[in-house]
Amino acid sequence: MATKESTTVKEGAQTREHRSQFEQFWREFRKNRLSIVGAVIIGLTLFAAIFAPFIAPHDPATQFDAPEGEHNPLPPGSTLFVEGESNEQITAYLGTDNHGRDLLSRMIFGLRTLMIISIGVNAVAMSVGIALGAIAGYLGNSWVDETIMRAMDIILSFPSLILAIAIIGILGAGTTDYGWISVPNLAKIIFVIGFAYIPRFARVMRSAVLKEMEEDYVDAAKSLGASDTHILTRDVLVNTIPIVVVQATLYMATAVLASAGLSFLGLGLQPPTASLGLMLSNARSFVYSGQWWYPVFPGLALMIIILGFNLLGDGLRDALDPRYSQEGSNDQ
Amino acid sequence: MSTARFILKRLMLIVPVLFGVSVAVFGLLHIAPGGPAAVLLGPLQNEQIIQEVRSQLGLDKPFYVQYWLWASSAIVGDLGTSWTVQQGTPVVDLIKSRLLLTFELALLAQLLAVLIGIPAGIIGAVRQNKPADHLSRIGALSGISIPNFWLGIVLIMVFGVTFNFDWGTGGWISPFEDPVANLQHLILPVIALGTARAAIIQRMTRSEMLETMNQDYIRTARAMGISEREVILKDATKNALIPVVTVIGIGIGGLLNGAVLTETVFNLPGLGKLFITAIARRDFEVIRALVLFITCVFVFANLSVDVLYAYLNPKIREDGGN
Repeated sequence: MATKESTTVKEGAQTREHRSQFEQFWREFRKNRLSIVGAVIIGLTLFAAIFAPFIAPHDPATQFDAPEGEHNPLPPGSTLFVEGESNEQITAYLGTDNHGRDLLSRMIFGLRTLMIISIGVNAVAMSVGIALGAIAGYLGNSWVDETIMRAMDIILSFPSLILAIAIIGILGAGTTDYGWISVPNLAKIIFVIGFAYIPRFARVMRSAVLKEMEEDYVDAAKSLGASDTHILTRDVLVNTIPIVVVQATLYMATAVLASAGLSFLGLGLQPPTASLGLMLSNARSFVYSGQWWYPVFPGLALMIIILGFNLLGDGLRDALDPRYSQEGSNDQ
Repeated sequence: MSTARFILKRLMLIVPVLFGVSVAVFGLLHIAPGGPAAVLLGPLQNEQIIQEVRSQLGLDKPFYVQYWLWASSAIVGDLGTSWTVQQGTPVVDLIKSRLLLTFELALLAQLLAVLIGIPAGIIGAVRQNKPADHLSRIGALSGISIPNFWLGIVLIMVFGVTFNFDWGTGGWISPFEDPVANLQHLILPVIALGTARAAIIQRMTRSEMLETMNQDYIRTARAMGISEREVILKDATKNALIPVVTVIGIGIGGLLNGAVLTETVFNLPGLGKLFITAIARRDFEVIRALVLFITCVFVFANLSVDVLYAYLNPKIREDGGN
């Protein structure tokens, strides 16, 4: 009975504290105008990714014919005629690609695949990394801790993109079919990039948990008879949320870069999927013939998204918890 | 803990890491559906041919025997022979012939990054929240956000196409043939590869400088009437730059990652390009050897940085870095 009451009191206090913590965070976050810019960029990107079919002016896969005497890719603002009886006209605001597909529409759909991959990569790296890091930290300096962290050291010894390229290179691009299981390309990309980033979350998590374990409330919970799992999941992990949020936001930038890079090398998404990296890879051959819009717009979009995540991540780090702050986590 | 003991401990940690890395690289080959032999043969295969190739490549032996044969020859510098990139050529020779380019590219990019990143970081810190700082921070933010392969394409568009410089479209000329043309052709790739590193170094330098300049001994130095210029350049910089060394070291991984993309964009026949060619031609022997080689370079670069850091930073020497 006594234990139950004390938990309720503690939780009540925590809620109050959390509310004021949130207010404090918001005050800090708002102060930095660049963080707001980052939040707006990411908000718009997610919005465009989710509602792509409603926002994109045209179908991303339709190949429009160039008017007579002209060739795709057509420059921004070109008017195209839709074949058929309707005589409908469309405008390609950012021009078309070499197959006559609307560049803007493909970019918006490209945001969708990019966000799915980047969020997926973070989800994989985060869930596995947090679990491993939390266990290692909680059982600090035991053989379990040693084994987990040495395994992480080994993954970290590989330059991350080289590791991802090698794994996909050996599996082959596209769907991988083992006979008993067939791994779709998208899932494969997510797992391969995510795998390379597991140690980064595990390390951060381990040190955060080690630090938390020294706090008085852990001893208090232990003496009240709380189980290890309870302490770890209810108390310790809750307190490490800020650091994980900051890391995840900054790694979103890295994940965007890595997935676009893989597609650029032909090892990520495969045609005809709309992908910014793939568009850049195709656009390379049009650089010399003066079709500047083809490589410029998809690359610019990539840069703005990455900038958005970096600004947001920096802002969150400054506002949430400067204790564990780290510079230069972006490892392009 | 003395520096010597720290270095010894760090050296001993390398052994299990290298062992783990070699096992992982060895295992990489076997994650392909059907195993390496099926991949090597492609669509033209039947059970009998696969078995023949398997025994030729030694793939029918137990894993630990295969690993031992591979690892024991790798350690003495025999990384096998290429399957499809240049059939029959020892992989070591392939690596040797491309090493110079990647080494030169990475070294120059690192140099550019340090030469831009450190001064920009110091200026940012000294002129905190003034126009120069804002400019330097915006530059750094753009730098870490710009994908290096896209920057490469844009540079080619501007210098190679618009201004029509003959060195502006990539390609490689050996420094032994024509050192000037060699450097000219590397200008754009080095900018493409070095920009992100410069930005990361700028950010680290700036934040370390800001922290150092708030410390007591700097205030004391100022109070003693030592000129601001001398305080910044002699005292603050010396201490602030110690952690920057680590970032420069970690950056070697980023450089190796970036080299693959940069070499692809600029058509440079370096290790990164070899890697991509080997993947396109499914040459597992070359892929495996390259991953092992690049990773070992990365591991030893990190080791040297840690040792240098321990040497520079007296705190580590005292408490063993804990």
